Amino acid sequence: MAKIRKIMLVDVPTLKKHGKMEDAAKMLAQSDAGCVVIIENNAPVGIVTELDLIRKISSKDSRMNGPVSAIMTSPVITMSPDTKLDEALKIIDTKGFRKYPVVENNQLVGMATKRDIVNAISDNLRLHRSIQNIVLIAFVLFEFFVFVLYKQVYKYLPFGI
Amino acid sequence: MLKVANVMTKNVVTIDRAATLVKCAKLMASKSVSSLVVTDKRMPLAVIRENDVINGIISKKARVIDAMSREFLIVPPSANFQEVTKALREKKIKKFLVVEKGKLLGLLTETDIIEATRDFTRLHQIMQEIILAVFGLATAFFLFYFSPLKVAVFG
Repeated sequence: MAKIRKIMLVDVPTLKKHGKMEDAAKMLAQSDAGCVVIIENNAPVGIVTELDLIRKISSKDSRMNGPVSAIMTSPVITMSPDTKLDEALKIIDTKGFRKYPVVENNQLVGMATKRDIVNAISDNLRLHRSIQNIVLIAFVLFEFFVFVLYKQVYKYLPFGI
Repeated sequence: MLKVANVMTKNVVTIDRAATLVKCAKLMASKSVSSLVVTDKRMPLAVIRENDVINGIISKKARVIDAMSREFLIVPPSANFQEVTKALREKKIKKFLVVEKGKLLGLLTETDIIEATRDFTRLHQIMQEIILAVFGLATAFFLFYFSPLKVAVFG
């Protein structure tokens, strides 16, 4: 089974805890990642997604001049690079988030998204399935071969029937 | 084959193209959806995503029409799900409007595609297990039937 290390995004947009909300909005608008990880000493302390900003925009005070820590989701659920993909899917099912910072030795090393995990599992299974089909076909051919051989030689076998 | 009509979101939230971005954000937050379909006199025109709203607010745009994204594909409800996934992966198009005869039937977002891929994977897994089990039983029967063991047991 593949691990998170293999499929995580390495280029994660990050922002310091005291960063401005406006900067987070700019980063979100520019990148395709869909979230900004808030870090302190390179360890993730929170996460700001597009939805957080949409909520901020639709609230009464829609000015974006406060610190980013006011709208971030904290604490954040993280994964380790050695988490297996099916374990990761279980975490996603219980927690219900889409993006998870990947942390190793208390340092942010990447980000795992639900999309990448589901796609990786699906691809994995497709490969697995084709291998299995080849093995099955080989097995059937082998069985047939044994059957023919048996028909020919069974009278000479010591345990004659 | 799995059709787009089976996996799309049917209750699409729409917004008029003249509406303000703040109204758009409020609608997104209250309905908890990540994208709205922009309409012009009830005709689907484009899609607006969370990202477009944020982008629009930063660049001081006020109306939906200035900020909406034109990166989407129109697909018929009978389109094949696999083709859509291919377009998503290769062209990075994330939104698909399902339209038939000018009428908006639904919206296919990344979330729908992820969930469908998951269900599909699970179904395939179960089918594969069943095939394996049938083959296993057939092989066991075959070996037993043609082996001396059968004669020893049943004479």
